[in-house]
Amino acid sequence: MKRVEIRVHQEKGRAILEVEGELDFSTIEQLQQEIERRPEEVVEIDLQGLRFIDSSGAGMLLSQARRLYRQGRTLKIVRVPDLIREDLEVIGFFGRWRSWKLIPTLSRR
Amino acid sequence: MREAITGNGKVLKTCWLEGSGCNLPAGQVGGDFFEFISSDDRTVFAAIGDVMGKGFTAARLMETIRQMLQECIRINPDPLDVVRRLNKVGGYELRKFGAFATLCLLCFDGRTGHVTCVNAGHHPPIVLSNGMVKVAQSRGVALGLLEDYLGSGAEEFSLAAGDAVVLYTDGLVEASGPGKRRYGQERLKEVIGLQYGADADTMKQNILADLETFTCGFSQKDDVTLVVIKVTGKVGETGGD
Repeated sequence: MKRVEIRVHQEKGRAILEVEGELDFSTIEQLQQEIERRPEEVVEIDLQGLRFIDSSGAGMLLSQARRLYRQGRTLKIVRVPDLIREDLEVIGFFGRWRSWKLIPTLSRR
Repeated sequence: MREAITGNGKVLKTCWLEGSGCNLPAGQVGGDFFEFISSDDRTVFAAIGDVMGKGFTAARLMETIRQMLQECIRINPDPLDVVRRLNKVGGYELRKFGAFATLCLLCFDGRTGHVTCVNAGHHPPIVLSNGMVKVAQSRGVALGLLEDYLGSGAEEFSLAAGDAVVLYTDGLVEASGPGKRRYGQERLKEVIGLQYGADADTMKQNILADLETFTCGFSQKDDVTLVVIKVTGKVGETGGD
């Protein structure tokens, strides 16, 4: 059984990646490759179906956000489940995101 | 300060403080670490951290951060300065590998009973004082995420003989059992609240036993690191409780 499933949708210049399952050291590559493959200006990661994230998952999302930011593009994270949000808040994940002035792109839905 | 290594654990013993910590790896080697460091005859630091990722790179970065932590304490033992300096020098190393590390640093002053806590993206310590359980409030961004450390500052509190502080990594509170429920901070606080009077090593064993009961032997995704530090007296006093 796959531990992470990614479904991709496209809307006018925007890619939406719905992530379901667990994002950790052994599964991050799959999402990373999918993000890197997207040519759209905005890549939106929908985390509603995410059940677990570890520091590797958080680090990968931050490094992809940094990469797109440097290219003048945007990585959005939306519909973050409460437990996952709490995990990310502990490490200061959102503080790093704010330093790129990306607050409006980080929303619950 | 006497420090003994027992398996993957360490025991600290001074005339006024005792500590017991261990790391339970899940799968391949990870980036969890903890450390007891004495800077003079009245001051002991306890640190716990987690370097992002798994495997050789995480383990090597973890070792680098440990060494830098000791060096930062040697240069200036002010806890906030230690974390700021470590974020500068260690953060640079971490960013080279696209990594970051969490750290919680406690500084125990054996003469006053004061404890200073500085947090960089780590789960907050839980304090057992006079039988009451409280969660430390200090918060901050993990090492390596920002060029300058950003946090709520140094939090200070006093501990008396018999009081204890529990440090842990995310692997403990995020451990899951049947039904995918998490062990969680609330259950950890409850079990810590039952430990008043126990020595540091017994507290650690009791918490791990409760974790094992909760997880029912299910294999875990992340390492579990747990450290208990208990005040047994003040510098200059003999005995303790």
